[in-house]
Amino acid sequence: MSVPKTEGTSNYEYVTARVQARRAALFDDEDYRKLIRMGPGEIARYMEETEYESEVNALGSRYDGVDLIEHALNRNLAKHFNDLLRWADGELYEFVARYLRKFDAWNIKTVVRGIYSDADSEAVEEDLIYAGEFDRQFLERLVEAASIEDAVEMLDNTRYGDALAEAYEDYDATGVLIPLENAVDRTYYEGLMSGVTETDNRATQLYVEFLQAEIDFRNARNALRIARSGADLDPADYFIEGGELFRASELSQLSSGVDELVTFIRDSTYGEDLSAALDELERADSLIGFEHALDAALLEYSDHLSHVFPLSICPVLAYVLAKEREVDNIRAIARGREAGLSEDEIENELVIL
Amino acid sequence: MYEMLFAFVNAVVPLAQEGAAAAEPAIPASAAAALAVGLAALGAGYAERGIGSAAIGAIAEDESLFGTGLIMTVLPETLVILALVVVFIVG
Repeated sequence: MSVPKTEGTSNYEYVTARVQARRAALFDDEDYRKLIRMGPGEIARYMEETEYESEVNALGSRYDGVDLIEHALNRNLAKHFNDLLRWADGELYEFVARYLRKFDAWNIKTVVRGIYSDADSEAVEEDLIYAGEFDRQFLERLVEAASIEDAVEMLDNTRYGDALAEAYEDYDATGVLIPLENAVDRTYYEGLMSGVTETDNRATQLYVEFLQAEIDFRNARNALRIARSGADLDPADYFIEGGELFRASELSQLSSGVDELVTFIRDSTYGEDLSAALDELERADSLIGFEHALDAALLEYSDHLSHVFPLSICPVLAYVLAKEREVDNIRAIARGREAGLSEDEIENELVIL
Repeated sequence: MYEMLFAFVNAVVPLAQEGAAAAEPAIPASAAAALAVGLAALGAGYAERGIGSAAIGAIAEDESLFGTGLIMTVLPETLVILALVVVFIVG
């Protein structure tokens, strides 16, 4: 299962025009400010008057409250991302499909976690997002897998097969899911970068740089988490290849202390973009704040790229990121309201540009 | 696209040089004017290709953009009209 080689030229004009229109239709500050004051029922009703109308209507009879919102969000996300694949041709299709494999990785992890925690298959199925490369039938069979071993076996002839089979031994020995999840993430990121690094197209070069930034951030995030949790793990085991910032060996040294890591990032090429995030980390000592600042930095960078190179993969990527962010934000608001968090607390959970 | 232009130039330049030797234009003035219009139309067509597909994309998202999309799509058409002026000057 890999992205099929597509013939023909890329139709950047068509896809970016549609994507920009959809990007403009996403919720803005004003919408979020209204949503923060609403209860789950009201949020669902509010969503019914926007973009999410058909999903909310279709699912309204089966779910209510936060579940309704969550399922409507997932379904809407899948719809939009499938649209992207439907429109795109040529090279553009390949780029988009590569990036959307993120949801395959998400689905595999969901299934594995579901089996691990003995959740019933229906509940797991509801949490899948059908936006990746795996088709619905395959995912349905995967959900029915009786054990993690079965699931790994079913994934054997996908791109995740080898990495998962290897990680399964680790899992068998230790009984924790981290090796499996890590194998999936790694395979995803490595597939993302392969074959695109050599190009003379400036926009594609920037796309590669962007992906490298994403991998670097992911590595930094993992290292920080390990450093803060104080767990006796070797971060090099969880290192994702393809980034610019870290080497695997450096990472294990750096993750011994948060301060050293922060200084290292500050001196790197990302120092300027992330200074706000790093200040936040030092000031409030909050990892969540730092992670949100990382997300915001990525989002801002992708937006910038999409203005500079309107006829390239960049606007599509910016849209994908912004849409994911919107879904995450709405989910955070709905869950936050349900849990009875105050408006300020919810606002801290949101990433708004 | 570019290959075509090169081929065209390669074909025309020797013709022009021969013509210069005979102190006479290689192709008649009216044919040159016709060529100017044709090339301008080619350029306009190529420009409209991109604009048209973007316009269709925008209209698919928001039907009220039909008018704007249409105008933007035919804007390069002015190039052809300008090129037509050459026909009147020459002819």
